[in-house]
Amino acid sequence: MKNKADILIIDDDRDLVNSMKIILESRALNVRTAGDGKAGYESIRNKTPDLIILDVMMATDTEGFDLAYKLRRESVYQDIPILMVTSFPKHMAEQGPEKFQHIMGENWPVTQFLEKPIDPDDLLSAVMNLLSEADGHDPGFF
Amino acid sequence: MQLGYELIKNQFFFRKELIERVGWFIRLRWMVVCVGLTGSVAGSLVWPPFPFQCFLAIFLFITAYNISFYLFYLRLNTSPPKDEKPYVFFTNFQIGFDLLALGLMIHFTGGIHSPFLFFIILHVIIAGILLSPPSSFIYGMIMLTYLGIEIFFQYMALLSPQPVLFQSMLSAHVPEMPQTLFLYLIYAAIVFATAALTTSIKVSLRVKGRELLSVSRYLDASNKKLNALYDMVKAMGMCTDLQELMDSATCHSSGIMGVKACAIKLLDDQKKKLRFVSTYGLSGDYIAKSEIDVEKSVINRRIIEGQVYASGRLQEKDQFQYPEDIQKEGIASMVCLPLRVEKRIFGVFCLYSGVLDAFEEGDIRFFTLISDLTALAIENLRSELTKTWFLQKTAHQLRAPLNAVQSMLRTLRKGYLGAIDPPKTDILIRCEKRIEALDNLISDLLELSIRRAGIDPKKFYPVNVAQMVDRLLPMYRAQADEKDVEIECTIQEPLSAVMGDNALFDDLFGNLISNAVKYTPKGGRIRIAIRTEDSGQMYWEIQDTGIGIPEEERSHLFTEFFRGQNARAITEEGTGLGLVIVREILNQLNGTIHITSTVGKGTCMILRMPSV
Repeated sequence: MKNKADILIIDDDRDLVNSMKIILESRALNVRTAGDGKAGYESIRNKTPDLIILDVMMATDTEGFDLAYKLRRESVYQDIPILMVTSFPKHMAEQGPEKFQHIMGENWPVTQFLEKPIDPDDLLSAVMNLLSEADGHDPGFF
Repeated sequence: MQLGYELIKNQFFFRKELIERVGWFIRLRWMVVCVGLTGSVAGSLVWPPFPFQCFLAIFLFITAYNISFYLFYLRLNTSPPKDEKPYVFFTNFQIGFDLLALGLMIHFTGGIHSPFLFFIILHVIIAGILLSPPSSFIYGMIMLTYLGIEIFFQYMALLSPQPVLFQSMLSAHVPEMPQTLFLYLIYAAIVFATAALTTSIKVSLRVKGRELLSVSRYLDASNKKLNALYDMVKAMGMCTDLQELMDSATCHSSGIMGVKACAIKLLDDQKKKLRFVSTYGLSGDYIAKSEIDVEKSVINRRIIEGQVYASGRLQEKDQFQYPEDIQKEGIASMVCLPLRVEKRIFGVFCLYSGVLDAFEEGDIRFFTLISDLTALAIENLRSELTKTWFLQKTAHQLRAPLNAVQSMLRTLRKGYLGAIDPPKTDILIRCEKRIEALDNLISDLLELSIRRAGIDPKKFYPVNVAQMVDRLLPMYRAQADEKDVEIECTIQEPLSAVMGDNALFDDLFGNLISNAVKYTPKGGRIRIAIRTEDSGQMYWEIQDTGIGIPEEERSHLFTEFFRGQNARAITEEGTGLGLVIVREILNQLNGTIHITSTVGKGTCMILRMPSV
């Protein structure tokens, strides 16, 4: 049997993190959490997760993006799928650098976007899709 | 200014005059023939020795060659030559023939004593004005040589003298040599003096013409530059994106200043590093250095302090952080200016040329103007973006706790923390709905705030409405299908574009259609008709079979947070800001909205806005 998928949630909203943790753990996924970008990066260095769920705005406006760019630049971590969750309307976040261009200017670093509030079914479907796209992980869902 | 330049060239170098005079000569010659023939008849009547037959033959000769000239002139006019050379040739030809005819007339009316002698001066003047300065002397010399030969032949008795016009035959004898020679010398002096005077005036005019031409060339170039600068400022004003604005600035500046490359570098927050943010014409390798440490680059440090850096030879290579790259890039001259708004410097604007000493003082002054305008445009857009960003961030902060609550409620309701019985589920659904309404209200307030913050109409561009409808309609059709409401959309082509921006039209169309769907009961119908009216205005009609708007409530439709009684009865959804946003958008588009409605039957909204 393959290992359970390891998911790292990086978000400074404890309530939201708890909700997501409950939802993901209900499908027997292994969930780790971090409250900011720095703690998240440390957690990734300790153990490379199969998927990262990342918030955009934490201590700074671009903390989520900063971490995503940093990971994309490091060959060890650049293939980890990143599901970005944000309270910005999805259409705005998806337009990416165009809307955020005055604070960023490089290529878009995230795999998929999910707009808050999180719907449990949408979250699970996005997570499962991303995990099944990545090789060798048993989502532990079926 | 090209017109001015051409005008000076034509006037001061007599090009236009020459071309016009070619036809004038032919017309004048017809007059000469008429007057001459009449004069010959009259002359022979009052003075019997008048050589009428000779004059008749001369005027027939003039008539014959003038007909040929006229035909040639017509041909010249049918296919005008590119330059004035054929006209110069033609004019020389005409003057040559005229002088031949004049020579014969002079001969038959007394040679050196003939009163027709003075017509030679006329031709010398014409040649001096219209043709090159030596022509005047050459024609004078030819005629003086001709007169000299005639005097010599008469003196040697090889040619019999002719009676001087209207004088007795007494004077028609072999002239006394000293007197004749004296007369000849006086006449030669008059001819040469006339030629010298005419050509000196002409040469002086040419010199002034050249000076004016160079001034005109400079003015032309300045005008071209100013027009290009106007285009650049206009293009920058249309930009809604900082990168797009700076790319437009570097591209336009290279063109205006005629240089191989151009770059904008911006300072980081600590004002310690300069980063290339936009370049034009520089290689990837050069830009790859990307960050410039201001402390290490003497030149950049000086510019950041407010100095202008200009070098035509780039000899002070030790002042650059990466001198080898400047050589590799083939940069010979360079001008760098601070990007500043008032006293605040936030970057550097550079021009690079492959030519040595490429920049004069005037170029640097003009580039300063470009640089200042660019700095102002960057600052202006930055401040607009910051304003919008603040509003968006505020909405985000307001929405964050609501989203967390909603996420938790959904987790609870969907049984992830254990089964929930139906009454509790209902309560949770109500909680979610109320929070969703608050979330929508925040979205609408953000939308309204951004609209009221004002989008500069300069940034509008032609929007293809048909494409916009094609893109958005499926989304609202899906909502309508859920309620079994049919949407019928007719777009009458050709449809002209409307000046606006995509987001604006998305909001406008979205608000109107979602309202129609929201307030049309199950099984209803929404009809959308879009066309360009004969007056050129864009016409939208959105008609539904919805609940309608009571007449007494219509005046409040565009009041913030207002929702009609029957609207509130049918659904809780709705913030009362949708139509306010519609009106704000229409204000920006210079459009109008007209609403007719019958309670219980439906509402019809007619929008008109100017199209391109």
